[in-house]
Amino acid sequence: MNIINLAYFLVILIYLAIGAAIIFHMLRYKINRHAAMVMFAIYSLGSLVLLIFNFSFFKMVDWNQIFSLFTL
Amino acid sequence: MYDEIHFPGQHENEQVILFLRRHWFVFFMRSLSILAAIVIVILLYVFLVTFGQNLHETPYYNLLLFGESLATLFIWNFFFILWLDYYLDAWIVTTERIINIEQRGFFYRDISELKLTKIQDVTSEIIGVIPTLLDFGNICVQTAGETERFTFRQIPNPNYIKNVIVQLQEKEKKSEEKEMGRAIRGEEI
Repeated sequence: MNIINLAYFLVILIYLAIGAAIIFHMLRYKINRHAAMVMFAIYSLGSLVLLIFNFSFFKMVDWNQIFSLFTL
Repeated sequence: MYDEIHFPGQHENEQVILFLRRHWFVFFMRSLSILAAIVIVILLYVFLVTFGQNLHETPYYNLLLFGESLATLFIWNFFFILWLDYYLDAWIVTTERIINIEQRGFFYRDISELKLTKIQDVTSEIIGVIPTLLDFGNICVQTAGETERFTFRQIPNPNYIKNVIVQLQEKEKKSEEKEMGRAIRGEEI
C-alpha cells in the first residue's frame, strides 16, 4: 500500500502548503496584532487536532480489504 | 481609539481617525459557502449511515470517516482563506492621508495612498435592499486633476464616513494654506 501512503502524503503536503501560506499572511501583515494572534492560535490548534484525527482515521482504514473488495 | 492599528509606512504623529473593513454581512455571505460545505459533509454521513446496509460493520465505514475528516481539513483551510481576504482588505483614514490596502489571493497585496489635500470630490452610494437596511455601501474619492478614483467597497456607514473625510480634507487644506501663508510672509513654520 505504498501508493496509498504516497497519495496521502501528497494530499497532506498540499494541505500544509496552504496552511503555511495562511500562517504567513496572518503573521506578516498583522494590521491588528491581537486579532492576528488570536486567529493564529485558533487556526494552528484546530489544524493540529484535525490533522491528528485525519491521520488516525487514515490508519484505521484497511486499504488492503477495500482494494480487494473493488477487484471482486 | 485605534491604538492597536499599525500599518507599514506610518508617520510619526500620524493619527488613525478611521479604520475600515468591509461590512460583516459581506463576510457572512461568503461564509455561507463554508456552511453549505459543512451541511453537505454532515448530510452525506447521515445519509450513508442511515441507508447503507450495516455500514458500521464494513471496511467502508472507516473509509467514510477518513473522507469526511479530509474534507473537514480543507473546509477549515478554506474558511481561513476567506477570513484572511476579509481581514487583510482595509481602508485607513489618518490625519494626513487615506490608505487603501487590498489583498488579492495569496502573495498579491496592493497598497495605495492618497493625501487628503488632493481630494476633490467624495461620493457615497448605497445600492440594493440589504445594503440599505444594514447601512453599508461604497465611497468614491476623486483626486484633483486626475481621473483616478479611490473606492472604499462595502463599508459600514458610508454617509458618516464621507462626512468625516470631507471635514478632515477641509481641515488639512486650511492648515496647508496657513503654512503656505506663513512661508510667503517669511515667518518660521
